[in-house]
Amino acid sequence: MERQTHGWKWLLCAPALVVLIAAASGPLLVVALYSVLTPGTLGGVSWVVSFEAWTRVFVSRDIFDPQVVSWNSAHLMIFWRSIVLSFQTTVICAFLGFPTAWFIATRPPASRTLWLFLITIPFWTNLLIRTFAVQEMLRNSGTINASLLWLGLIEQPIQMLYTDFAVLVGMAYVFLPLMVLPLYAAMEKLDFRLVEAGYDLYASRLQVLLHVIIPMVKPGFIAGSILVFIPSIGAYVTPRVLGGGRTMMLGNLIGLQFGQGQNWPLGAALSMLLLVVVVGALIYYLRVVNQDGGQRRG
Amino acid sequence: MSTEIHINNLTKIFGQGASAFRALSGITLEIETGEFFTLLGPSGCGKTTLLRLIAGFEQPSAGSLTINGQEVAGKGPNVRPVNTVFQNYALFPHMTVAQNIGFGLKMLGKPRAEVDATVAEMLALVRMETLAHRRPSEISGGQQQRVALARALAPRPRVLLLDEPLSALDLKLRKEMQSELKRLQLETGITFVFVTHDQEEALTMSDRIAVMSAGRILQLGTPHQIYHAPAERFVADFIGDTNFLDLPVLSSDGDQARVSLPGGASALAHLPAGMLPVPGQTVTTVIRPEQAQEGPLEGADLVAEVETAVFFGTDTHLHLRLSDGQGFILRRQNNAQTAEPARGTRLGLRLTPGALRVLRG
Repeated sequence: MERQTHGWKWLLCAPALVVLIAAASGPLLVVALYSVLTPGTLGGVSWVVSFEAWTRVFVSRDIFDPQVVSWNSAHLMIFWRSIVLSFQTTVICAFLGFPTAWFIATRPPASRTLWLFLITIPFWTNLLIRTFAVQEMLRNSGTINASLLWLGLIEQPIQMLYTDFAVLVGMAYVFLPLMVLPLYAAMEKLDFRLVEAGYDLYASRLQVLLHVIIPMVKPGFIAGSILVFIPSIGAYVTPRVLGGGRTMMLGNLIGLQFGQGQNWPLGAALSMLLLVVVVGALIYYLRVVNQDGGQRRG
Repeated sequence: MSTEIHINNLTKIFGQGASAFRALSGITLEIETGEFFTLLGPSGCGKTTLLRLIAGFEQPSAGSLTINGQEVAGKGPNVRPVNTVFQNYALFPHMTVAQNIGFGLKMLGKPRAEVDATVAEMLALVRMETLAHRRPSEISGGQQQRVALARALAPRPRVLLLDEPLSALDLKLRKEMQSELKRLQLETGITFVFVTHDQEEALTMSDRIAVMSAGRILQLGTPHQIYHAPAERFVADFIGDTNFLDLPVLSSDGDQARVSLPGGASALAHLPAGMLPVPGQTVTTVIRPEQAQEGPLEGADLVAEVETAVFFGTDTHLHLRLSDGQGFILRRQNNAQTAEPARGTRLGLRLTPGALRVLRG
């Protein structure tokens, strides 16, 4: 009986599969294909196979003598900045998210729902609008600078907007809930008797945190880090609005190639590279989790 | 013997105002060094709260608590020379058996060689050498129990606290662990404070038992004293099977009273100190089911009619009805020849001299 019903049950996910294949896998193949074609004169591609785009990702050619090549420092810098900023965002979110999640997980069960609900409030507003709100805070004549000037703490406005700092603030703000929620989920399952056992065995508060709590909620940390790091590295709106043209990230560079740059193959090659980084991060995550989870029940 | 734990007028109140709950009221208690001390009572009696106060997980609302002469009220569990074996074991799932056992010593900052040596010694003590590198999830419940014991014993605490550690084990394993615990206690000489709701466990293992109810200690004594001379109805009822008989007093003198038994005979009953009932007053007496023997109807103390027989293997409980309608349980030891008497059979009973006791109140 069960065997029979099993046969057609997968059909239940067929609609979702169709959407996934149509909306994700198809375009992905198109992007992969474009990355090995030649740019068209007015955007688009011309159907001539070439690995020029992949080369241009890493190196740039001399304007006068195309045979002279050098590392494409602009691309590599953007690449490096994207990784560094995303990593920093993840670390900041972890440090801010841990105490927040701990606070919620240690409330009485009835009020936890309310706190979780409050965490999700930012999602009610469009990302672009929220980012402009951050811009308003950081602007030279914005809220922070105006307050500091009024208090007499500074004489000149501090240039915060269009710096890496602004991008970092914006991304940490946007992605923080994605760290808090998985951390909370891990902490909620934490057996607090283990914390007592730690204290009982002469551990100080700090030692209990380091040797008992953090190892126990590690899966939450890893899940949160992935959820923050992956969208961070491909972020488009936040670096665009808060970083301007000077602190570009990968997402903006890709956008540029499909827009003003009119070099679709280069944009496609950069996109594929981004995908490789993300998949690499995921594989690392799965390996770490399996290493740990394999020896642990549930 | 010296005093290991001195508890004076210890009170614990949870919550505030109208919702406040008094978990412990004025507990005063001395636990000797090297003794196996048991806190026995039904759930909610405060025994676990008392254990958590000794461990330092809770702080008292009033009163004092000293361990080895040091006042510890207000101090955290990590500075008290006591370790706990938790009810669910609370083993660290991300550490191996050996790492779990070495955790306390590591936190005390002991050198690595000493930690390793003690862990090896503890593994041998609980016979778990071969499983040192397994995780808690990869060993059985009984093995987890041993690891929890070894982990708590490794830092050589002055006192080991055990919070119903055997309740999750099945009967056979529980019996095994009972003798194992007793062996460990004798070998290490560490003071054990054991919490249980299982009266049989308390009787078989303890040097002394404190019977608790509603946040108070009702009786404190050796298993013999608790079983044979229960001070209150609650204690008599909670521990073992007991017959309660309401009987009129004929005369009383010193620590004995002559009471009238249903059917016309009379017997001497032990009186608690300071109680002197007047003739004609009805008192509650208590007698254990094994303290009466079957005999001829002629000259019997009690004559009773069999209602039901409950077979336990080693013995059978006969539920009897006395001539005045009160119930009486008789324990009868079995052998291959004993047959259970039919319903309605009349039996003569002879009470063991000195076994009948009057309860206070």
